[in-house]
Amino acid sequence: MSITPEQLRFCDSHEWAYVSDKSAGIATIGISAFAVEELTDLVFMALPKVGQTVTAGSEFGEVESVKAVSPMYSPVSGTVVEIHSALVDNLESLGVDPYNDGWIIKVKMSDPSELNQLLDWEAYKKQCSH
Amino acid sequence: MQPLVNLFDLKTAVPGLVVIDSARSGESNMAIDEALLQNATPQWPIVLRIYRWDRPTLSIGHFQRIQDRQGDPRLSDLPWVRRKTGGGAIVHDQELTYSIVIPNRNSQSTKGHNETLYRGIHLAFLENLRKLGWSACLSESCTCKTTAGKEPEAFLCFLRRSPVDLLVGRDKILGSAQRRSVTGLIQHGSFLLRHAQTTPELLGLLDLENGFDPKQHVENSSSISGLKITKNEFEGGLDPNWKTDSQSTQMDPWISFFVASLKLGVSKALQVNWQNGKLSDLLENLDCVVAGRN
Repeated sequence: MSITPEQLRFCDSHEWAYVSDKSAGIATIGISAFAVEELTDLVFMALPKVGQTVTAGSEFGEVESVKAVSPMYSPVSGTVVEIHSALVDNLESLGVDPYNDGWIIKVKMSDPSELNQLLDWEAYKKQCSH
Repeated sequence: MQPLVNLFDLKTAVPGLVVIDSARSGESNMAIDEALLQNATPQWPIVLRIYRWDRPTLSIGHFQRIQDRQGDPRLSDLPWVRRKTGGGAIVHDQELTYSIVIPNRNSQSTKGHNETLYRGIHLAFLENLRKLGWSACLSESCTCKTTAGKEPEAFLCFLRRSPVDLLVGRDKILGSAQRRSVTGLIQHGSFLLRHAQTTPELLGLLDLENGFDPKQHVENSSSISGLKITKNEFEGGLDPNWKTDSQSTQMDPWISFFVASLKLGVSKALQVNWQNGKLSDLLENLDCVVAGRN
């Protein structure tokens, strides 16, 4: 089933988190369509390794567009359990479907309550419209 | 991605510092720029730093692989350093380099547009070079390869083309690249004045004087704000014994041109009250160790 932005939580730095099964405590993380549009043509993405720990608000990877390098910040804290390695060779899919085929990493959350600090879709849309 | 100050939303002028630095090693140059970015705060001025390199040096883009320089044996003997910004590798020799650091300001909108500053600076160089008689234009083409492309992009920046790169004739003479961070934005740029010995095929501005009209040059030289440049001064090229600081009133005419064009370019994105400053004054306020390195 396709994920829609209404199901996600967002950072003000344009990353999103999605939790399909709260009992498993695993968050899928990506970047928003707004961010992809701002970044324009993507040419490279650097991802963490499986097993690496990430911290909410801290950098977990970098993405290079034609003329800029931008960090990506984790919405939650925890341990990386899966990376979307195929995405690195097909960054165009981020522009097509950033909320499904464009997922970037999955994190086993150490503190799921951090999700409460994130923006819902309506609040995020409002931020982007400023 | 970290929210970036929205350059369009700045209603009032912000303070800016122009630092004309001495020539340094690649390691030192990049360490200084990184310190300026990492330590930027909302209260920090915009810092425009102009500099050269104390020996011909290869800087490679943030994501480039250093082993890829083996594809061009001429580059193997050069000292090298990695930039925090993206883009292709640059041989820093007969060129001028700039970095501009724009701090994030909490009171501003959380979205930004990196194209504004990039385009503004390149358009300013275009305008000023045209006034002096050079046939400058924007590339309006792109050799960039997204991951769907099969062929890797050229290793050297000046062999690549993106739409806002500045050309004279067919030759690229100015390229820039950016990095965003939690503290702000840095943009690096390189203005190629003459070809490097290592890469003679990459012509600089002064190698391209066929399209240069000295008469028009002299007539128009006073039309550029802040510039007092004579024909003779231009012909000299860069001062080979670069020893400068921001307080010098007898700057190399190319530095004057460079600073005036950069200020004009930034002014297309936001209002800045510029002052001249010294790097040592800035670094005294930073908890870093780059001040004494060279």
